[in-house]
Amino acid sequence: MKKLKYFLFLILTIPFVACSDLQEEPIGLLSPEGFFKSPQDVQTAVNGAYGNMATEAFWGRKLSLPLMLRSDMVSIGDVGTASRRIDHDRFTVAADNGMITAFWPKSYQIIAGANEAIAGAESLGLSDEAINPTVAQAYFVRAYTYFHLVRLFGGIPYLDAPVDNIDEANKISKTPEAEVYAKIIADLEFAKQWLPDTQPTRALPSKASAAGYLASVYLTMGNFQKAYDEAKYVITNEGKFDLALVADFQDLFDATKQQGQKESLFSIDFNGFSDGDTGRDYQAALTGIRANERTDGRSDIGEGWSVAVPTIEVYNTWDGRDYRKRVSLDTIGVFGGVVQPFSYFPTASPLNKATAYIAKYDRFIGITSQGNGRGSETNYSQMRYAEVLLIAAEALNEITPGTTEADGYVNRVRARARNRAGVMTNFPADVASGMSQDDFRTMVLEERKWELAFEFKRWYDIKRRQLGPQVFGPSGLENQPNFDPSRDYLLPLPSDELQRNPNLMPNNSGY
Amino acid sequence: MLTKKTIKSVKWYLIGIFILIGGIVNAQEKTITGLVTTNEDGMGLPGVNIVVKGTSNGTSTDFDGNYSIKVNNNSAVLVFSYVGYITKEISVESQSVINVILEVDASALDEVVVVGYGTTKKSDITGSVSSVKSEELTAFPVLSAEQALQGRAAGVAVQSNNGAEPGAPIAVKIRGNTSINASSAALLVVDGFVGGTMPQASDIESMEVLKDASATAIYGSRGANGVILVTTKKGKKGKMTVEINSSYASQSISKELDLLNADQFANYQQGINPGYVQGPANTNWQDLIYRSGNTANHQISFSGGTDTMNFYVSGNYFDQKGVVINSGFERFSFLSNIDAQITDKLKLGFNAFGSRSNKKGVSTQADTGGRGSGDVISIAYRFAPDLGILNDAGQNTSNSVGDDVDNPYAIATESIDETTTDNYRANFYADYELIEGLSFKTTFGFSTLNGTRGTFKPSTLVTTAGGVGGIAGVLSSKESDILSENYLTYNKEIGKGNLTLLAGYSYQKSKTERYSAGAQGFISNSVSYYNLAGGSTPLIPTSSLTETEIKSVFGRLNYDYDDKYLLTFTARRDGSSNFAKNEKYAFFPSGALGWKISNEDFLKDNTSISNLKLRASYGVTGNQAIQPYQSLASFRSIYAVVGDKTVSAIVPNQLSNPDLKWESSYQTNVGLDFGLLKNRISLTLDYYNIDTKDVILGDTSVPEYVGFLNQTTLKNIGEINNKGFEITLTTRNISNDNFTWTTDFNWSRNRNKVVSLINGDDIFLDAAPGHFLQDQTHILREGEAVGLFYGYEYMGVNQGGTLPAGTASFTNTPGEELFADLDGNGTITTADRKIIGDPNQDWTAGLNNTFRYKDFDLGVFFQAAYGGDIFSFTALELASGGSNASTEALRAWTPTNTDTNVPSAAVRGKRITSRFVYDGSYVRLKNLALGYTVPTNIAEKMGMDKIRLSISGQNLLTFTDYPGTDPEVSYKASGNQNSNVNQGFDYGNYPNIKSVTFSINLKF
Repeated sequence: MKKLKYFLFLILTIPFVACSDLQEEPIGLLSPEGFFKSPQDVQTAVNGAYGNMATEAFWGRKLSLPLMLRSDMVSIGDVGTASRRIDHDRFTVAADNGMITAFWPKSYQIIAGANEAIAGAESLGLSDEAINPTVAQAYFVRAYTYFHLVRLFGGIPYLDAPVDNIDEANKISKTPEAEVYAKIIADLEFAKQWLPDTQPTRALPSKASAAGYLASVYLTMGNFQKAYDEAKYVITNEGKFDLALVADFQDLFDATKQQGQKESLFSIDFNGFSDGDTGRDYQAALTGIRANERTDGRSDIGEGWSVAVPTIEVYNTWDGRDYRKRVSLDTIGVFGGVVQPFSYFPTASPLNKATAYIAKYDRFIGITSQGNGRGSETNYSQMRYAEVLLIAAEALNEITPGTTEADGYVNRVRARARNRAGVMTNFPADVASGMSQDDFRTMVLEERKWELAFEFKRWYDIKRRQLGPQVFGPSGLENQPNFDPSRDYLLPLPSDELQRNPNLMPNNSGY
Repeated sequence: MLTKKTIKSVKWYLIGIFILIGGIVNAQEKTITGLVTTNEDGMGLPGVNIVVKGTSNGTSTDFDGNYSIKVNNNSAVLVFSYVGYITKEISVESQSVINVILEVDASALDEVVVVGYGTTKKSDITGSVSSVKSEELTAFPVLSAEQALQGRAAGVAVQSNNGAEPGAPIAVKIRGNTSINASSAALLVVDGFVGGTMPQASDIESMEVLKDASATAIYGSRGANGVILVTTKKGKKGKMTVEINSSYASQSISKELDLLNADQFANYQQGINPGYVQGPANTNWQDLIYRSGNTANHQISFSGGTDTMNFYVSGNYFDQKGVVINSGFERFSFLSNIDAQITDKLKLGFNAFGSRSNKKGVSTQADTGGRGSGDVISIAYRFAPDLGILNDAGQNTSNSVGDDVDNPYAIATESIDETTTDNYRANFYADYELIEGLSFKTTFGFSTLNGTRGTFKPSTLVTTAGGVGGIAGVLSSKESDILSENYLTYNKEIGKGNLTLLAGYSYQKSKTERYSAGAQGFISNSVSYYNLAGGSTPLIPTSSLTETEIKSVFGRLNYDYDDKYLLTFTARRDGSSNFAKNEKYAFFPSGALGWKISNEDFLKDNTSISNLKLRASYGVTGNQAIQPYQSLASFRSIYAVVGDKTVSAIVPNQLSNPDLKWESSYQTNVGLDFGLLKNRISLTLDYYNIDTKDVILGDTSVPEYVGFLNQTTLKNIGEINNKGFEITLTTRNISNDNFTWTTDFNWSRNRNKVVSLINGDDIFLDAAPGHFLQDQTHILREGEAVGLFYGYEYMGVNQGGTLPAGTASFTNTPGEELFADLDGNGTITTADRKIIGDPNQDWTAGLNNTFRYKDFDLGVFFQAAYGGDIFSFTALELASGGSNASTEALRAWTPTNTDTNVPSAAVRGKRITSRFVYDGSYVRLKNLALGYTVPTNIAEKMGMDKIRLSISGQNLLTFTDYPGTDPEVSYKASGNQNSNVNQGFDYGNYPNIKSVTFSINLKF
């Protein structure tokens, strides 16, 4: 008996353990299996794609910054900044460029999210009416992202379904540019068919967003008739789509006033919060002036980094009477408590250039969670109604030159620019009617340059109109002797991606 | 401090308790007394075990070697035993006083050594095991016992992750880097608890470092990096002993960097920017943030035992005031070990450990150093010396050049970073002898580690938190661990052979919960992090849960034939929840042979060779290498904003990975133990080869266009090789009545090599601070060592005109940096980078000399490392133009000063170049200690058994060419991706320290 007592004691200490099967049951992680149960889950997956757009690796800076730097309106301020940035400005990009290797995967993560949403929606087995208005967002997101990629890289790997077989996915070839465009158009057509006329917020795409992007895609392809048709469709239905130009051009770039504005067709929203990656933008920091102490109109975020800085020619060639110049450029800074002109900027910090700085993202940025303006409240409109008007004008001029209709679209944009914070001025004047096709084309591209300055459009304009040799030549805004039209209209696909899948070779010419 | 009176009353109180628990020893008939001495010096030998043969009746000698024991009758036989001496049996007969002289065991090897799930005689070991003695661990006061291991055992590398930061984690690597993604840190087993926390050095009886597969395979999937077995002290039979150890150390930083003063700085900046206006002050920021620190360490322990019971209880208080202002660490801990012999077959034991620590941190080793980030150390280097702490408006200054970070004094004094950690472990065991030779042991243990970290940056830190009105955050974590192990041990003598078998089962479950919350926009800076609700803007909260389970069966066979031939087989089969469905289980076997040549007839009578043993082992051990849930397909929720509102959002995170499995190390070890002249000279040589296969690498062959957030699919695809050679030499140079001199020397050399990577492609890694905007700083390349620095080769200064052949500059201007133009195309591009440095050390060594003269003892301990390169991000930053500079800038190139290798003053991109690679070889006087033991007769008059006083100095001398503050540096070596291969980087390290320590040791 006595021994039995000890045995019992021992048995008690052999715990409850023997039957574990070592299966992991993560709580707090989501399993893809059985995730999609309702249209709300599809929306959650599309939201993930929006979240992925608002990351450092995409619109935060890795894609947005090269788009600025490759244009003729933005150059490098601080020459000590990362060479992966400088290489875009100077057209010395190599196939392992650190900006590309960051936004390439992130772009495809956005696409993969859209593909999951589309596949998830199909698995629900709902009627078109029940699910398509939601899943159409995913089609829009996919088209939006591929549209960036096809313009940047030309032919690219194109995936329109979630990958479950890595080996197969690893062998695909590039889809040729024209085919990618066709797929983008198909997605946008689906989106245009099923998206609602309006959405509660411009961060969600509507029918107008799809049509506006179709216009832009066709314009890029040089299909001016269709570009005009789509733009015209948006303009005709501007009331139904709740679109209008914001009265004061400055308000477009005031983070505290953007919500509820009727001009944006689609925007990437930031609200000043971040989990450290998603939700953080860097434009204010990248475009800000070093050592600037300015605090009016914004909280004290401290200096900028003087990375993306216009050349002095931008300031010199922009008509001083244009209110948009004042909104778009900062010509003063505060140093040691004293307001100083831009000629003083390099004295305040050798990292500065003596030139006017980009003001669109730095002036009214709302609450920030970090210094330098990292993590602003800015909503980045990916397409403004003003652009739709200018697309209509540009496309119509190519089909039928010299129409008053085309003049009228430009004039609407100019009329708004004359509103100098409530005071009407007479600059810019309406366009002279009866311009030649060539003059009108030049005029409308210039109009885009000033109206959409620093809004990540200019590089794409330079590319689609093949303006490189001119704008990067000695008489251009930014002389870049390295610019090579046979190479630089396309970026290299990341070299490591080509190593992984040799079927993607050869790389774009010149890389 | 406890007063003597309270100590005494505690003593009696404890004695009372243990008498009650332990039961009362039966009255006996005859008392034998005597003195046990040694044949070496004739001195009394304390702690000798004396047992009446065939009974459990026993005692041990006191401090002078005296004993007293009761026996029933004259036919009793007393057995005198003591580690290192030959056991002696003496029949009592009619004697009542028995004085015994114990002879030193010629082999002196029959020390009992702890191995996994048991003990063995040191002479029977077939694997590679280093033992570190308790005296070595306590030779000088250390915050954690790992530090005391440094330089003591061949093949063991000890590295603080952050200089002398109070409370910094210490990494222990055994025999090199065996992994890339997973940690190479050794497994710590404390009193049988796998994954325990290191106890106080003074509580440790012994520490064994298991290095080869023969020794570690019993720990299977966790053994690949080597195992450190720690055994804490237990009470000994006899009167209760109270021991007090107190030490106090005064500390100062070992070196400051030589930087420009205000005038020099202004001059330098004006060379870059002629408009630079010199600031009003002349501040040495290093002087402002450093102070002299101190460490106090007090420990009291009570131990003792009866025939059936022994106990060891200790309490410890450690307090460190760091050498960087506002940093410190305080810890209370206790340890209790109780063992009870319930019957002659059943033994129970209980082991409890608890500690609370409070760490007051200052920011060091910042991951990035732009506005709002940065650590006080690196900022103290780069901050403008012509600014003061406050500006004219009474606000904290921020830097006038480069990123506008707050000044280091303000960051150090005004930001709050406090971590409170509670750690408790309870471990119970029962050992039952089922039949003669067969015993069953079960252990059950539980440990918790709960930590809370609170941070606050007030709005007075203008650039960090001014714009947002202060930032506060709280991070809490709760880890718990349950371990249950059950095993049978069988021992049987078969003829000339001796067989020991072990078989067991183990189950361990760990669970970690974390959550964090934060807010910004505080009305007042006085609430710190204790009123998050007072912040106008809450930050995104997080929470997570991870659980892992490991279950295992293990076994071992030891066979010893004729005390000449030894054989060991070990195997463990582990199952881990971390691994993929198809690969949950893995099997880790090992085998070893030993041949005691000196016991062969032809050597048995050799007088000069006292020991010669050859060992060889081969086996496989594993590394778990992955985090929980890494093999599962998953979506992940991310932060997303739609219409300025946060919405729920998921993204495809990773594909399932059903074949992800363990990393396996195939280890070969050949060793030789050699003793000469009665082991006055003993030498151990070991050669090893470790092939780590199935190394888990991020599979870069999965194209990124597949679109998962987690772009790298882990695959068992790489291979790494480590081979090395270790020498341990101990000599008793002089040994006579008044003077002894012993020398311990160890030397080890490890060569590691990346054998294969995915498709043979290089893997580039980045360890640079974020604001350096680098992509690649080091490389893994087949055929090369792990983690080599990768960048441009610096060739001096561009002198204009025709450049030397094979060189070019980024901009071809005189005064610019000149680099090797590897592809010869006349410009410098990323194609011109190459391997520019190797952080892996060629060899490391430790040399300890101990001298004893009468009552004085002197220890001199040197440690050395040769051949490891250091890449200094600090030097790079200080040369980049946008910061203060080292005095090297005074030699900068100018049109009139062209004979220099320092380029002109300019703002330059922070590029990785060989200009900032330095030789990190060093020799360091790690410890110099002088002790005095008060003669016993004087101590006794004071009521003490022992009084020892010592004074020692740590890191008093360092010989190195490294121009940074300390050659023992690390950066991003823990908690980061690729931590394991981030070696030899220097940035923002908490400085290493010199200290002078006074210690007193009392025993009564």
